[in-house]
Amino acid sequence: MALRMWASSTANALRLSSATRPHFSPLSRCFSSVLDGLKYANSHEWVKHEGSVATIGITDHAQDHLGEVVFVDLPETGGSVTKATGFGAVESVKATSDVNSPISGEIVEVNSKLSETPGLINSSPYEDGWMIKVKPSNPSELESLMGAKEYTKFCEEEDAAH
Amino acid sequence: MTSSFNYSTHLIPPRPITSQSTQRPTSQRPTASHHTTTEPNSSLQQTNKRRCKCYDMYKQVVPFAEAWSWQKSIVEERKLLVDGNEDGLDSLIVVQHQPVYTLGTASSEENLNFDIKDSPLPLYQTERGGEVTYHGPGQLVLYPILNLRFQKMDLHWYMRALEEVVIRVLFSAFSLKASRVEGLTGVWVGDKKLAAIGIRVSKWLTYHGLALNVSTDLSPFSRIIPCGIKDRGVGSIKELLIGSNRPSSTSGYHEEGDGKLIDIAHESLLKEFCEVFQLELCHQSVSILRSPDR
Repeated sequence: MALRMWASSTANALRLSSATRPHFSPLSRCFSSVLDGLKYANSHEWVKHEGSVATIGITDHAQDHLGEVVFVDLPETGGSVTKATGFGAVESVKATSDVNSPISGEIVEVNSKLSETPGLINSSPYEDGWMIKVKPSNPSELESLMGAKEYTKFCEEEDAAH
Repeated sequence: MTSSFNYSTHLIPPRPITSQSTQRPTSQRPTASHHTTTEPNSSLQQTNKRRCKCYDMYKQVVPFAEAWSWQKSIVEERKLLVDGNEDGLDSLIVVQHQPVYTLGTASSEENLNFDIKDSPLPLYQTERGGEVTYHGPGQLVLYPILNLRFQKMDLHWYMRALEEVVIRVLFSAFSLKASRVEGLTGVWVGDKKLAAIGIRVSKWLTYHGLALNVSTDLSPFSRIIPCGIKDRGVGSIKELLIGSNRPSSTSGYHEEGDGKLIDIAHESLLKEFCEVFQLELCHQSVSILRSPDR
Protein backbone atom coordinates (compact mmCIF):
# COMPACT_ATOMS: atom_id res chain seq x y z
CA MET A 1 0.00 0.00 0.00
CA ALA A 2 1.25 3.48 -0.75
CA LEU A 3 0.86 4.51 2.87
CA ARG A 4 2.98 1.62 4.07
CA MET A 5 5.67 2.42 1.50
CA TRP A 6 5.76 6.03 2.56
CA ALA A 7 5.94 5.00 6.19
CA SER A 8 8.83 2.67 5.42
CA SER A 9 10.86 5.27 3.59
CA THR A 10 10.30 7.83 6.31
CA ALA A 11 11.21 5.28 8.93
CA ASN A 12 14.41 4.53 7.04
CA ALA A 13 15.21 8.20 6.79
CA LEU A 14 14.79 8.49 10.54
CA ARG A 15 16.77 5.29 10.97
CA LEU A 16 13.91 3.49 12.67
CA SER A 17 12.91 -0.07 12.15
CA SER A 18 10.20 -0.28 9.52
CA ALA A 19 9.63 -3.96 10.09
CA THR A 20 7.39 -3.44 13.09
CA ARG A 21 3.73 -3.97 12.52
CA PRO A 22 1.11 -2.82 14.99
CA HIS A 23 1.09 -5.40 17.71
CA PHE A 24 -2.34 -6.64 18.70
CA SER A 25 -2.21 -9.03 21.56
CA PRO A 26 -5.33 -11.18 22.02
CA LEU A 27 -5.92 -9.45 25.35
CA SER A 28 -5.74 -5.97 23.90
CA ARG A 29 -8.80 -3.83 23.36
CA CYS A 30 -6.71 -1.53 21.20
CA PHE A 31 -7.68 -2.30 17.64
CA SER A 32 -6.89 1.20 16.46
CA SER A 33 -4.28 1.74 13.83
CA VAL A 34 -0.87 3.08 14.65
CA LEU A 35 1.33 4.20 11.80
CA ASP A 36 5.03 3.59 11.56
CA GLY A 37 7.12 6.64 10.98
CA LEU A 38 5.04 8.96 13.11
CA LYS A 39 5.89 10.05 16.63
CA TYR A 40 3.35 9.92 19.42
CA ALA A 41 2.66 11.79 22.64
CA ASN A 42 1.20 10.09 25.71
CA SER A 43 -1.80 12.40 25.38
CA HIS A 44 -2.60 10.66 22.08
CA GLU A 45 -1.47 13.19 19.51
CA TRP A 46 0.76 12.28 16.55
CA VAL A 47 3.45 14.25 14.74
CA LYS A 48 4.65 13.75 11.16
CA HIS A 49 7.94 15.54 10.63
CA GLU A 50 8.74 16.25 6.98
CA GLY A 51 11.58 18.63 6.36
CA SER A 52 10.92 21.93 8.09
CA VAL A 53 7.25 21.30 8.82
CA ALA A 54 5.59 19.02 11.35
CA THR A 55 1.94 18.03 10.97
CA ILE A 56 -0.03 17.28 14.13
CA GLY A 57 -3.31 15.53 14.80
CA ILE A 58 -4.92 13.09 17.21
CA THR A 59 -4.48 9.35 16.88
CA ASP A 60 -6.92 6.68 15.80
CA HIS A 61 -6.99 5.45 19.41
CA ALA A 62 -7.98 8.92 20.58
CA GLN A 63 -10.75 9.44 18.05
CA ASP A 64 -12.09 5.97 18.71
CA HIS A 65 -12.36 6.66 22.44
CA LEU A 66 -13.89 10.09 21.90
CA GLY A 67 -16.62 8.96 19.57
CA GLU A 68 -18.11 11.23 16.96
CA VAL A 69 -16.33 14.57 16.91
CA VAL A 70 -18.87 17.35 16.47
CA PHE A 71 -16.68 20.37 16.80
CA VAL A 72 -12.99 21.25 16.51
CA ASP A 73 -11.51 24.38 18.03
CA LEU A 74 -8.29 25.40 16.30
CA PRO A 75 -5.84 28.26 16.84
CA GLU A 76 -4.88 30.94 14.33
CA THR A 77 -2.00 30.64 11.89
CA GLY A 78 0.97 32.61 13.11
CA GLY A 79 0.40 31.68 16.74
CA SER A 80 2.74 29.42 18.62
CA VAL A 81 2.44 26.08 20.35
CA THR A 82 4.38 24.72 23.30
CA LYS A 83 5.15 21.09 23.94
CA ALA A 84 2.58 19.37 26.19
CA THR A 85 0.33 22.44 26.26
CA GLY A 86 -3.15 22.70 24.81
CA PHE A 87 -3.57 24.37 21.43
CA GLY A 88 -7.11 23.43 20.57
CA ALA A 89 -10.03 21.24 21.50
CA VAL A 90 -12.35 18.59 20.13
CA GLU A 91 -15.95 18.13 21.24
CA SER A 92 -17.83 14.86 21.32
CA VAL A 93 -20.75 13.65 23.47
CA LYS A 94 -21.13 16.96 25.33
CA ALA A 95 -17.52 16.68 26.43
CA THR A 96 -14.90 19.00 25.04
CA SER A 97 -11.30 17.87 25.45
CA ASP A 98 -8.06 19.78 25.13
CA VAL A 99 -5.68 18.72 22.36
CA ASN A 100 -2.04 19.17 23.38
CA SER A 101 0.88 19.88 21.09
CA PRO A 102 3.63 17.25 21.15
CA ILE A 103 6.21 19.89 20.17
CA SER A 104 6.87 23.62 20.33
CA GLY A 105 6.92 25.90 17.32
CA GLU A 106 5.11 28.36 15.10
CA ILE A 107 1.79 27.44 13.52
CA VAL A 108 2.13 27.77 9.76
CA GLU A 109 -1.13 26.20 8.65
CA VAL A 110 -4.42 25.14 10.17
CA ASN A 111 -6.85 22.61 8.67
CA SER A 112 -9.82 24.78 7.82
CA LYS A 113 -11.82 21.77 6.51
CA LEU A 114 -12.36 20.70 10.14
CA SER A 115 -14.78 23.55 10.87
CA GLU A 116 -17.18 22.27 8.21
CA THR A 117 -16.37 18.59 8.57
CA PRO A 118 -15.14 17.81 12.10
CA GLY A 119 -15.85 14.14 11.40
CA LEU A 120 -12.68 13.95 9.32
CA ILE A 121 -10.91 13.41 12.61
CA ASN A 122 -12.88 10.19 13.04
CA SER A 123 -12.74 8.96 9.45
CA SER A 124 -9.15 9.93 8.67
CA PRO A 125 -7.24 10.79 11.85
CA TYR A 126 -3.78 10.59 10.21
CA GLU A 127 -4.59 12.10 6.82
CA ASP A 128 -7.52 14.43 6.11
CA GLY A 129 -8.13 14.89 9.85
CA TRP A 130 -4.78 16.62 10.47
CA MET A 131 -5.19 19.64 12.73
CA ILE A 132 -2.21 22.02 12.50
CA LYS A 133 1.15 22.31 10.78
CA VAL A 134 4.00 23.70 12.84
CA LYS A 135 7.53 24.87 12.18
CA PRO A 136 9.35 23.14 15.06
CA SER A 137 11.38 25.52 17.20
CA ASN A 138 13.18 22.68 18.93
CA PRO A 139 13.41 19.53 16.74
CA SER A 140 15.09 17.59 19.55
CA GLU A 141 11.67 17.47 21.27
CA LEU A 142 10.69 14.85 18.69
CA GLU A 143 13.22 12.45 20.12
CA SER A 144 11.46 12.23 23.48
CA LEU A 145 8.19 11.18 21.83
CA MET A 146 7.14 7.57 21.37
CA GLY A 147 7.52 5.55 18.20
CA ALA A 148 4.78 3.34 16.78
CA LYS A 149 5.67 0.21 18.72
CA GLU A 150 6.04 2.06 22.02
CA TYR A 151 2.77 3.95 21.47
CA THR A 152 0.86 0.76 20.66
CA LYS A 153 2.08 -0.79 23.90
CA PHE A 154 1.20 2.41 25.75
CA CYS A 155 -2.40 2.23 24.44
CA GLU A 156 -2.73 -1.43 25.40
CA GLU A 157 -1.51 -0.75 28.93
CA GLU A 158 -3.75 2.27 29.33
CA ASP A 159 -6.83 0.39 28.11
CA ALA A 160 -6.03 -2.66 30.24
CA ALA A 161 -5.76 -0.53 33.36
CA HIS A 162 -9.21 0.90 32.84
CA MET B 1 -9.27 1.34 41.21
CA THR B 2 -12.62 -0.35 41.46
CA SER B 3 -15.68 1.78 41.21
CA SER B 4 -19.14 0.99 42.42
CA PHE B 5 -20.37 2.16 39.03
CA ASN B 6 -19.70 -0.35 36.28
CA TYR B 7 -20.13 1.10 32.80
CA SER B 8 -21.05 -2.18 31.21
CA THR B 9 -24.05 -2.51 33.49
CA HIS B 10 -24.84 1.13 33.86
CA LEU B 11 -28.54 0.52 33.91
CA ILE B 12 -28.30 -1.17 37.29
CA PRO B 13 -31.29 -0.58 39.51
CA PRO B 14 -30.95 2.29 41.99
CA ARG B 15 -29.41 1.33 45.29
CA PRO B 16 -31.66 1.03 48.32
CA ILE B 17 -30.87 3.30 51.26
CA THR B 18 -27.96 1.64 53.02
CA SER B 19 -27.35 1.33 56.73
CA GLN B 20 -24.83 4.18 56.47
CA SER B 21 -27.67 6.65 56.18
CA THR B 22 -29.06 5.75 59.57
CA GLN B 23 -25.85 6.71 61.27
CA ARG B 24 -25.74 10.28 60.06
CA PRO B 25 -25.79 12.99 62.68
CA THR B 26 -29.21 14.58 63.08
CA SER B 27 -27.84 18.03 62.36
CA GLN B 28 -29.04 19.36 59.03
CA ARG B 29 -26.37 22.01 58.58
CA PRO B 30 -25.60 22.39 54.88
CA THR B 31 -21.93 21.79 55.49
CA ALA B 32 -22.49 18.79 57.74
CA SER B 33 -19.57 16.47 57.37
CA HIS B 34 -21.62 13.32 57.66
CA HIS B 35 -20.07 11.93 54.54
CA THR B 36 -16.69 11.87 56.15
CA THR B 37 -17.54 10.09 59.41
CA THR B 38 -16.09 6.63 59.64
CA GLU B 39 -18.28 3.76 60.63
CA PRO B 40 -17.25 0.81 62.70
CA ASN B 41 -18.77 -1.71 60.33
CA SER B 42 -17.42 -0.28 57.13
CA SER B 43 -14.06 1.16 58.10
CA LEU B 44 -12.41 -0.90 55.35
CA GLN B 45 -14.78 0.57 52.78
CA GLN B 46 -14.13 4.12 53.94
CA THR B 47 -10.34 3.91 53.75
CA ASN B 48 -10.58 2.81 50.10
CA LYS B 49 -12.17 6.09 49.10
CA ARG B 50 -10.10 8.97 47.83
CA ARG B 51 -10.75 12.31 49.43
CA CYS B 52 -12.46 15.09 47.55
CA LYS B 53 -12.58 18.71 48.65
CA CYS B 54 -16.15 20.01 48.73
CA TYR B 55 -16.98 23.70 48.39
CA ASP B 56 -20.62 23.53 49.30
CA MET B 57 -22.65 26.66 48.60
CA TYR B 58 -25.87 24.89 47.77
CA LYS B 59 -28.10 27.48 49.39
CA GLN B 60 -26.28 30.39 47.79
CA VAL B 61 -27.04 31.97 44.45
CA VAL B 62 -23.60 32.61 43.01
CA PRO B 63 -22.80 34.56 39.84
CA PHE B 64 -21.85 32.17 37.04
CA ALA B 65 -18.66 34.07 36.27
CA GLU B 66 -17.41 33.66 39.81
CA ALA B 67 -17.91 29.89 39.95
CA TRP B 68 -16.44 29.56 36.46
CA SER B 69 -13.32 31.42 37.52
CA TRP B 70 -12.96 29.23 40.63
CA GLN B 71 -13.09 26.10 38.49
CA LYS B 72 -10.52 27.40 36.04
CA SER B 73 -8.10 28.38 38.74
CA ILE B 74 -8.44 25.03 40.53
CA VAL B 75 -7.83 23.24 37.21
CA GLU B 76 -4.80 25.40 36.33
CA GLU B 77 -3.23 24.75 39.73
CA ARG B 78 -3.86 21.06 39.36
CA LYS B 79 -2.48 20.89 35.81
CA LEU B 80 0.83 22.25 37.09
CA LEU B 81 0.95 19.45 39.65
CA VAL B 82 -0.04 16.83 37.09
CA ASP B 83 2.68 18.05 34.71
CA GLY B 84 5.14 17.49 37.54
CA ASN B 85 3.78 13.95 38.03
CA GLU B 86 2.05 14.84 41.27
CA ASP B 87 -1.58 15.69 41.91
CA GLY B 88 -3.83 17.37 44.42
CA LEU B 89 -7.20 16.19 45.64
CA ASP B 90 -10.36 16.16 43.57
CA SER B 91 -12.78 19.02 44.19
CA LEU B 92 -16.53 19.45 44.04
CA ILE B 93 -18.23 22.84 43.90
CA VAL B 94 -21.98 22.94 44.62
CA VAL B 95 -23.94 26.13 43.91
CA GLN B 96 -27.08 27.69 42.60
CA HIS B 97 -26.63 30.40 39.97
CA GLN B 98 -28.19 33.74 39.26
CA PRO B 99 -30.14 33.53 35.99
CA VAL B 100 -27.83 33.06 33.01
CA TYR B 101 -27.65 31.34 29.66
CA THR B 102 -24.45 29.50 28.86
CA LEU B 103 -23.16 28.14 25.56
CA GLY B 104 -20.77 25.28 24.89
CA THR B 105 -17.96 25.07 22.36
CA ALA B 106 -20.15 23.92 19.48
CA SER B 107 -23.25 25.89 20.46
CA SER B 108 -25.27 27.18 17.57
CA GLU B 109 -27.03 30.54 17.59
CA GLU B 110 -29.94 28.74 15.95
CA ASN B 111 -30.78 27.34 19.36
CA LEU B 112 -31.42 30.82 20.72
CA ASN B 113 -34.86 32.35 20.25
CA PHE B 114 -33.29 35.77 20.48
CA ASP B 115 -30.44 37.69 18.90
CA ILE B 116 -27.23 36.70 20.63
CA LYS B 117 -26.31 40.39 20.95
CA ASP B 118 -29.62 41.08 22.66
CA SER B 119 -29.89 38.32 25.21
CA PRO B 120 -32.55 38.78 27.90
CA LEU B 121 -30.09 37.38 30.44
CA PRO B 122 -26.30 37.40 30.84
CA LEU B 123 -24.87 34.99 28.28
CA TYR B 124 -21.56 33.16 28.62
CA GLN B 125 -19.68 31.33 25.89
CA THR B 126 -17.85 28.60 27.78
CA GLU B 127 -15.35 25.91 26.97
CA ARG B 128 -17.61 23.01 27.96
CA GLY B 129 -19.24 20.61 25.55
CA GLY B 130 -22.93 20.70 24.80
CA GLU B 131 -25.42 23.26 23.61
CA VAL B 132 -27.13 26.22 25.21
CA THR B 133 -28.68 25.86 28.64
CA TYR B 134 -30.16 28.00 31.43
CA HIS B 135 -29.00 28.20 35.03
CA GLY B 136 -30.98 29.90 37.75
CA PRO B 137 -32.20 29.72 41.35
CA GLY B 138 -33.89 26.48 42.30
CA GLN B 139 -31.41 24.51 40.20
CA LEU B 140 -28.54 22.68 41.90
CA VAL B 141 -25.31 22.84 39.93
CA LEU B 142 -22.43 20.47 40.59
CA TYR B 143 -18.92 21.13 39.26
CA PRO B 144 -16.76 18.07 39.95
CA ILE B 145 -13.08 18.62 39.23
CA LEU B 146 -11.92 15.03 39.06
CA ASN B 147 -8.77 13.44 37.72
CA LEU B 148 -10.16 10.66 35.55
CA ARG B 149 -6.89 8.78 35.91
CA PHE B 150 -8.21 7.87 39.34
CA GLN B 151 -11.61 6.91 37.97
CA LYS B 152 -11.78 5.65 34.40
CA MET B 153 -10.03 7.39 31.50
CA ASP B 154 -13.17 7.26 29.44
CA LEU B 155 -15.30 10.35 28.78
CA HIS B 156 -18.34 8.26 27.91
CA TRP B 157 -18.08 6.48 31.24
CA TYR B 158 -17.81 9.81 33.04
CA MET B 159 -20.96 11.19 31.42
CA ARG B 160 -22.87 7.98 32.24
CA ALA B 161 -21.56 8.20 35.81
CA LEU B 162 -22.80 11.78 36.22
CA GLU B 163 -26.18 10.65 34.89
CA GLU B 164 -26.12 7.75 37.33
CA VAL B 165 -25.69 10.13 40.27
CA VAL B 166 -28.84 12.01 39.29
CA ILE B 167 -30.85 8.90 38.42
CA ARG B 168 -30.13 7.51 41.89
CA VAL B 169 -31.02 10.82 43.57
CA LEU B 170 -34.36 11.02 41.76
CA PHE B 171 -35.28 7.50 42.73
CA SER B 172 -33.99 7.26 46.28
CA ALA B 173 -34.99 10.74 47.46
CA PHE B 174 -38.09 11.44 45.35
CA SER B 175 -39.29 8.05 44.06
CA LEU B 176 -39.04 9.37 40.50
CA LYS B 177 -38.05 6.88 37.83
CA ALA B 178 -35.55 8.61 35.60
CA SER B 179 -33.71 7.25 32.62
CA ARG B 180 -31.08 7.90 30.01
CA VAL B 181 -31.86 8.41 26.36
CA GLU B 182 -29.29 6.96 24.00
CA GLY B 183 -27.59 9.73 22.14
CA LEU B 184 -29.08 12.48 24.34
CA THR B 185 -26.83 13.01 27.33
CA GLY B 186 -28.75 14.05 30.42
CA VAL B 187 -31.33 12.64 32.78
CA TRP B 188 -34.93 12.28 31.64
CA VAL B 189 -38.25 11.59 33.31
CA GLY B 190 -40.53 10.71 30.47
CA ASP B 191 -39.73 13.17 27.72
CA LYS B 192 -38.63 15.92 30.08
CA LYS B 193 -35.04 16.58 30.86
CA LEU B 194 -34.39 17.19 34.53
CA ALA B 195 -30.63 17.36 34.46
CA ALA B 196 -28.26 18.73 31.83
CA ILE B 197 -24.62 17.75 31.56
CA GLY B 198 -21.69 19.38 29.79
CA ILE B 199 -18.02 19.02 30.57
CA ARG B 200 -14.54 20.06 29.65
CA VAL B 201 -11.50 17.82 30.04
CA SER B 202 -7.89 18.91 30.12
CA LYS B 203 -5.16 16.35 30.82
CA TRP B 204 -7.88 14.09 32.19
CA LEU B 205 -8.99 16.79 34.67
CA THR B 206 -12.71 17.45 34.36
CA TYR B 207 -14.61 20.63 34.96
CA HIS B 208 -18.04 22.08 34.36
CA GLY B 209 -20.56 19.35 35.19
CA LEU B 210 -24.25 18.94 35.77
CA ALA B 211 -27.33 21.00 36.59
CA LEU B 212 -30.44 19.48 38.20
CA ASN B 213 -33.77 21.34 38.10
CA VAL B 214 -35.25 21.06 41.59
CA SER B 215 -37.64 24.02 41.90
CA THR B 216 -36.26 26.06 39.02
CA ASP B 217 -38.48 28.54 37.26
CA LEU B 218 -38.55 26.85 33.85
CA SER B 219 -39.87 29.79 31.81
CA PRO B 220 -36.38 31.00 30.73
CA PHE B 221 -35.99 27.68 28.92
CA SER B 222 -38.69 28.78 26.50
CA ARG B 223 -36.34 31.41 25.03
CA ILE B 224 -33.88 28.71 23.93
CA ILE B 225 -33.93 25.28 22.37
CA PRO B 226 -32.35 23.61 25.43
CA CYS B 227 -29.32 21.55 24.53
CA GLY B 228 -30.42 21.84 20.90
CA ILE B 229 -33.23 19.31 21.32
CA LYS B 230 -36.39 20.56 19.65
CA ASP B 231 -39.03 17.95 20.34
CA ARG B 232 -38.57 17.36 24.05
CA GLY B 233 -39.06 19.61 27.07
CA VAL B 234 -37.46 20.49 30.34
CA GLY B 235 -38.84 19.54 33.72
CA SER B 236 -38.12 19.92 37.39
CA ILE B 237 -38.53 17.79 40.49
CA LYS B 238 -41.07 20.23 41.91
CA GLU B 239 -43.17 20.15 38.75
CA LEU B 240 -43.23 16.36 38.75
CA LEU B 241 -44.09 16.10 42.43
CA ILE B 242 -46.78 18.74 42.74
CA GLY B 243 -47.87 19.05 39.14
CA SER B 244 -46.98 22.68 38.70
CA ASN B 245 -43.90 24.83 38.73
CA ARG B 246 -45.72 28.08 39.18
CA PRO B 247 -46.20 29.44 42.69
CA SER B 248 -49.83 29.02 43.61
CA SER B 249 -51.53 30.31 46.71
CA THR B 250 -54.25 27.69 46.36
CA SER B 251 -51.97 24.68 46.05
CA GLY B 252 -51.11 24.68 49.74
CA TYR B 253 -47.46 24.49 48.81
CA HIS B 254 -45.50 27.25 50.46
CA GLU B 255 -42.23 28.78 49.42
CA GLU B 256 -40.39 27.02 52.19
CA GLY B 257 -41.39 23.84 50.37
CA ASP B 258 -38.90 24.83 47.68
CA GLY B 259 -36.18 25.13 50.31
CA LYS B 260 -37.02 21.70 51.64
CA LEU B 261 -36.84 20.16 48.16
CA ILE B 262 -33.44 21.76 47.65
CA ASP B 263 -32.23 20.43 51.02
CA ILE B 264 -33.36 16.91 50.21
CA ALA B 265 -31.92 16.99 46.68
CA HIS B 266 -28.63 18.40 47.92
CA GLU B 267 -28.16 15.77 50.59
CA SER B 268 -28.95 12.99 48.17
CA LEU B 269 -26.69 14.43 45.44
CA LEU B 270 -23.68 14.48 47.74
CA LYS B 271 -24.38 10.97 48.96
CA GLU B 272 -24.83 9.48 45.49
CA PHE B 273 -21.86 11.42 44.12
CA CYS B 274 -19.68 9.83 46.79
CA GLU B 275 -21.04 6.38 46.03
CA VAL B 276 -20.68 6.54 42.25
CA PHE B 277 -17.20 8.04 42.28
CA GLN B 278 -16.05 6.28 45.48
CA LEU B 279 -14.99 9.54 47.09
CA GLU B 280 -15.06 10.88 50.61
CA LEU B 281 -15.96 14.57 50.85
CA CYS B 282 -13.88 16.95 52.96
CA HIS B 283 -15.83 20.16 53.40
CA GLN B 284 -13.78 23.27 52.80
CA SER B 285 -14.42 26.82 53.78
CA VAL B 286 -15.77 28.73 50.80
CA SER B 287 -13.58 31.67 51.80
CA ILE B 288 -10.63 29.76 50.33
CA LEU B 289 -12.14 30.23 46.86
CA ARG B 290 -12.77 33.90 47.48
CA SER B 291 -9.31 34.61 48.89
CA PRO B 292 -7.34 37.22 46.98
CA ASP B 293 -4.38 34.84 46.84
CA ARG B 294 -6.25 32.61 44.41
